[in-house]
Amino acid sequence: MRTIFKTNSIRILSITALLYFFAQNCKAYPGEEGLVLLQSLKGNWLFSIGINEEWASPKFNDSSWESIKVPSAWEDQGFNGYNGYAFYRKKITISSSYKGRMLYLNMGYIDDVDEVYLNGHKIGSTGSFPPNYNTAYNAERVYFVPEEDITFDGPNLIAVKVYDAIGEGGIISGEIGLYAGKNSANLTLNLQTTWKFQTGDDLKRKDPDFDDSSWKEIFVPAKWEDQGYRDYDGYAWYRKTFTYNTTEDNEKMVIMMGKIDDIDQVFINGTLVGSTGNLTSRANSDVSAGQEFDAFRGYFIPDGLLKKNQKNVIAVRVLDTGGAGGIYEGPVGLITQSKYIEFWRNIKKSSR
Amino acid sequence: MKAKHYKLLAISLFLLAGCLSANAEDLKRIVSLSGEWKFSIGDDSKWANPSFNDSDWDHISVPGKWEDQGYNDYNGYAWYRKSFRINEIPSNTTLYLMMGRIDDADVVYLNGKEVGKSGKFPPDFKTAYDRPRKYIITPDLLKPDGENVIAVKVYDSYMEGGIVEGPTGIYIDEDNDLLSLNLSGKWKFHTGNNRSWRATDFDDSDWDKIYVPSVWENQGYEDYDGYAWYRLEFSLPQNFTTGDLYLSLGKIDDEDDVYLNGELIGTVNDLRRNFNYGNSGWQYNARRIYKIKDGLLNRNGKNVIAVRVFDGQGLGGIYEGPIGIMTAENSRRYKNLHPSNDISFWEYMYDKFFGNNNN
Repeated sequence: MRTIFKTNSIRILSITALLYFFAQNCKAYPGEEGLVLLQSLKGNWLFSIGINEEWASPKFNDSSWESIKVPSAWEDQGFNGYNGYAFYRKKITISSSYKGRMLYLNMGYIDDVDEVYLNGHKIGSTGSFPPNYNTAYNAERVYFVPEEDITFDGPNLIAVKVYDAIGEGGIISGEIGLYAGKNSANLTLNLQTTWKFQTGDDLKRKDPDFDDSSWKEIFVPAKWEDQGYRDYDGYAWYRKTFTYNTTEDNEKMVIMMGKIDDIDQVFINGTLVGSTGNLTSRANSDVSAGQEFDAFRGYFIPDGLLKKNQKNVIAVRVLDTGGAGGIYEGPVGLITQSKYIEFWRNIKKSSR
Repeated sequence: MKAKHYKLLAISLFLLAGCLSANAEDLKRIVSLSGEWKFSIGDDSKWANPSFNDSDWDHISVPGKWEDQGYNDYNGYAWYRKSFRINEIPSNTTLYLMMGRIDDADVVYLNGKEVGKSGKFPPDFKTAYDRPRKYIITPDLLKPDGENVIAVKVYDSYMEGGIVEGPTGIYIDEDNDLLSLNLSGKWKFHTGNNRSWRATDFDDSDWDKIYVPSVWENQGYEDYDGYAWYRLEFSLPQNFTTGDLYLSLGKIDDEDDVYLNGELIGTVNDLRRNFNYGNSGWQYNARRIYKIKDGLLNRNGKNVIAVRVFDGQGLGGIYEGPIGIMTAENSRRYKNLHPSNDISFWEYMYDKFFGNNNN
């Protein structure tokens, strides 16, 4: 893609855009000034052009695949002139000493569109594949790695599906690696995973018994524009059913919802527990949003609302008044109040 | 042209004075509560308890938003705690706990007792970020020997949060010294409007109780605009001063009709002639002093004051003292102390310095 840019001014513009995206991504949550590198994933990966959904699976035998250097354009690695689909695969070991930390996979800058899998589970995607093709060549890919998808101390397979429309293609540049958050929230239950998602608005969706089986799936946290809802503004609902296993007695709990673009209401088992911004029942056009998108959400859950060792439902009503939308930044999950206090005091310490 | 400029200046200063009404009020500070407080994010009702051990809590400077003190991006509940000593508790006066401007909602406890709240906590969240907090505390809540503990629960929805702006402290109103009988404290209160509520023998036993003077928004009537009635039954001490007497009701937002023992003794519109600049909204700033007709006060039994208040919008109620009965001499002294009663302070200054003597 970038080869089509001829003039210096456009180059400067694109660098500015890169810096902008970097600035957007480097701050994973409040107080954090970047991530800590645990292991670099630069170097040799296995590579094949083409597309086959089995290639995302750890069971697939990739022994016949070619080796390719990451990061670099595949045009520089013997695939000159190739445009279209390709897969990258790499097996890594993740130490159990990282358990409990917020882990992120940085896949750098990918030209043009990607979908990343860990052990066959999709953990992130940026840009949009054909037929609704949309490039994201200038966005740095930083994906949260859900702990439930990791095999600690064993082999883990990273598979990256890439689509390149024109010009350079592949995992072009960046500090590819596995990272950990500096100030990890010590979550009791991590909810950064796949949620149910439906655009539109209906207050019945807050009810725990509401049937969301026909809803689409979406990854949290990530803006919905990167997950097939390009240009969507307006209301949408997220739902997640979870079991709250705890041995802790009478600990006050907080639901951390990270950052949401723009306005939200969060319901647990049908009860409103928190809201940022003013959502009225009026039409979208009447609701205006200011700084809500940048507000960090942590809602205190009223005593007795969470059902221990049983099914609970969290429903999030979101209104996006323009631009990016959705639950776009973590951490998202349940945390005890004492751990939450600790989390903020650590942020204060590290901000000195 | 020049004069017009001064008028504009005067008007803008007047508006500014309105914004800073908590400071403009002539209160005397007896305990400062600015400086270092104990601080924790989170929420637990136990933290209101004066004996709660907060030694492992963080420190924070008050006033000041928590975003500037290491809690950047924090939204939600947080508690502030501070202990203080008071050497001499003034008697026969009204104590005000000023907590400054709190973003967004708060409830304040003194030695474990709730003394006031503003805004609303989730789920029916409502901000009160733009109001200075003034809560009344009764002297019996304070311990003369030993530590007193103030605990403030704050909820911030988003953007800046905490006790963001002063003044913070315990204050007294020296105007109360002019009263022969201080009637501030808990009064009976009912929203709505009913003419029968002015009657001396009306049974108000099922009415709510709220502090006078303090806006009703700080006392559980967060969204209320419209009519409301205040009632107070009192009796005079023995050998109470004779001669002409006046009832002072301080400042009321916005309009009032005042009945003593069933008889109308004054309304804010009686004071209108004093406000010759005639802009709307002058009522909330007028100091209520009404003459008590000879023989109307019952010297040997109960007396009932009934006040009908109408609040157009925003804050409402009998919100600033002195509240009570004054002699004629002290009522004159009070008026001289507060020339802004007759005309706005800035109008007064303007007249004084630029010699517009038409008033």
